[in-house]
Amino acid sequence: MTFSSSYLLSLTTFIYLGAAALYLIHWIFRVQKVGLLATLVTAGGFVIQTTGIILRWIESYQLGYGHAPLSNLYESLVFFSWVTVLVYLIMEWQVKRRVIGAFATPFASLAMAYASFNSNIEDKIQPLIPALKSNWLIAHVVTCFLGYASFAVACGLGIMYLFKNRFSGESKGIVGVIPDCRVLDELMHQTIIFGFLWLTLGIITGAIWANDAWGTYWSWDPKETWSLITWFVYAIALHARFVRGWAGRRIAYISIVGFISVMFTYFGVNFLLSGLHSYGSQ
Amino acid sequence: MKASSSTYQDTSIWRFFSSVRLAVFLLITLAITSIAGTVIPQGESLQFYLETYGPSLFRIIKVLHLNDTYHSWWYLILLGLFSTNLVVCTLRRLPFTLKLFRRDNLAVDSGRLLKMPFKKDWEIKGELDNDSIQSISSAFKEVAGKFHERIDVDGGRLFLAERGKWSYWGIYGLHSSIMIIFFGALVGLFSGFKGSVMLPEGETIDHIVNRQTGEQIPLGFSVRCDRFNISFYDNGAPKEYRSDLTVLNGNNEVARKSIVVNDPLEYRGITFYQASYRAIPEVAVWVAKSDSPARSLTISAFQKALWTEEQLSFGLMKYLPSVHGSPAAQIWIEDQEGRAGALWLLKGNEKQFKKGEKLYRISLTNANQRYLTGLQVKKDPGVWIVWLGCAVLIVGFSVVFWVPHRRIWLWIGRRKGKTIVILSGQINKNKLQFEKDIRKIEDALDSSLGAR
Repeated sequence: MTFSSSYLLSLTTFIYLGAAALYLIHWIFRVQKVGLLATLVTAGGFVIQTTGIILRWIESYQLGYGHAPLSNLYESLVFFSWVTVLVYLIMEWQVKRRVIGAFATPFASLAMAYASFNSNIEDKIQPLIPALKSNWLIAHVVTCFLGYASFAVACGLGIMYLFKNRFSGESKGIVGVIPDCRVLDELMHQTIIFGFLWLTLGIITGAIWANDAWGTYWSWDPKETWSLITWFVYAIALHARFVRGWAGRRIAYISIVGFISVMFTYFGVNFLLSGLHSYGSQ
Repeated sequence: MKASSSTYQDTSIWRFFSSVRLAVFLLITLAITSIAGTVIPQGESLQFYLETYGPSLFRIIKVLHLNDTYHSWWYLILLGLFSTNLVVCTLRRLPFTLKLFRRDNLAVDSGRLLKMPFKKDWEIKGELDNDSIQSISSAFKEVAGKFHERIDVDGGRLFLAERGKWSYWGIYGLHSSIMIIFFGALVGLFSGFKGSVMLPEGETIDHIVNRQTGEQIPLGFSVRCDRFNISFYDNGAPKEYRSDLTVLNGNNEVARKSIVVNDPLEYRGITFYQASYRAIPEVAVWVAKSDSPARSLTISAFQKALWTEEQLSFGLMKYLPSVHGSPAAQIWIEDQEGRAGALWLLKGNEKQFKKGEKLYRISLTNANQRYLTGLQVKKDPGVWIVWLGCAVLIVGFSVVFWVPHRRIWLWIGRRKGKTIVILSGQINKNKLQFEKDIRKIEDALDSSLGAR
């Protein structure tokens, strides 16, 4: 095989970096054609990354391990970036506003860059340890990361909202091309609802799995607790709409705080706290 | 009756507990305070906290139970307040929801229809006969779905296609699911247990040890570990831990299963999980008194082996798998009078020892590992209630956010001396999709009215 999965996945890193740059150029210099190019580059990167992930899956079978590429930090970062691009592309297709790309694709390219260039992250295909040998692995990781990726996009929308709101007087220039606060607010709300459902499913599948593996569906392990903290934060965002004076700007802030909490659940717990999820840091 | 219920609802404590503001405040408090238990290690000895955090922080940890944050008095109070808020909030909405649910949506007039956010009207020349009304309403039905009809509304005929009215109940499912999950957790807490056991290969147990209290819990049946096996990948990483378990009722084998991590054995509501293992050495020796026949004994670590005829007991002190290529073991021997001594045995080398007047010969014949399997044992009758709560949570959430209550009216009648057809609609969520849907209905009516 001439194209190995690691070659394709490293290539994806540069493609997404390029796409993020193109989206930024499209936004700042308002060149329509560059926007179209950015979309094409992102979609192309997505196809290459998908191929890379599938190849890695096949390679793991060739090595005799045979498991979905969702088993360690490297693979989870690749998958996180993949889902983020997927969620973003669906949104672009639905909303037809490429400016959002300048705030969403950087998350995908940063995740890939971190996975590829950090020498502490093992990118070799490793066999599954007994604790991870479960049918719930795929369901748990996929649901969690659909949540994480939606929250990354919601965070991008929150930043856009605050930016737009800060310069609300301007109707031209780089502020003018950002969608209205009302539109951003609605998009952010919908994205949070979507992410919240997946996070909830992620927590539930995790609980079912834990019950199968350890006999307790909830043991207040730091990772579990942080996923619950994240869940609380987005529950606040969903209820804040019903509190007078909380809609809009405050929800944008909650969306950003929520994503910080997601990042801590994802990385912070692995590196700073100890617990049952230690395989996530390898 | 009505007056008394409304005064009951307006007491300040009721209002305090029913506010969304309190819900948001409690969620923020729970989010922030939950961090404590992830930063401070949980469930360690008090000594540990004193040494790690120093006397002043230790006092705070002790008062606030930060060594077991999620079962501390203040965390339970927060959860209690949260539950109360949830229940009161939900109950308070009930009359409002009932009103929405029971509302007669056919009780509108043409003036109100014209003020709706989505509306379109057509002016028709001349009168409409029954056949034309029939054809318009069937065109409406084709695109808008089943409808209710009322004649003589504001001097015209009114059609209403309504969908998803029941979705107002979604929020009750969503909020009660949290209470169902809490209830399931309580059931597990009060009528279940969690324990563990280290079970050597070949042995049987009929009780386990409670993880929290250390009490013995009888199982009501027995479990035997027939074999424990550990396998490795080529790179040395563990591949599988497997215990072959047999469940016995008296002397009858009633169930048999090989359990691995992620695939436990369940019998009569009690589940056995593969959790850990330990390997202990076991040696076989051959012993003989000068004037009596030889016999063999198996000596395991942490266990005495008895030679009943001679009233000698043997123990394994140390085991070395290879000394100059042969296994070696240090054996401890004690007689009835308590005279004890130890000696080293190397496989294949016979040795002698004396107890009182008697002389014995001993030799190490075999040595191997014996496994103990570590099982986590639990009984939790509440777990199905928790799963039910989770299912209700997901369904309720989807209904609340994705099932809209959609109403589309069509009114045909005379207004200000003209014959008018009015199409209008309302929806409580997903307005973008609704705009597309109603545009479609508009087009259908356009062509139906144009064709007339």
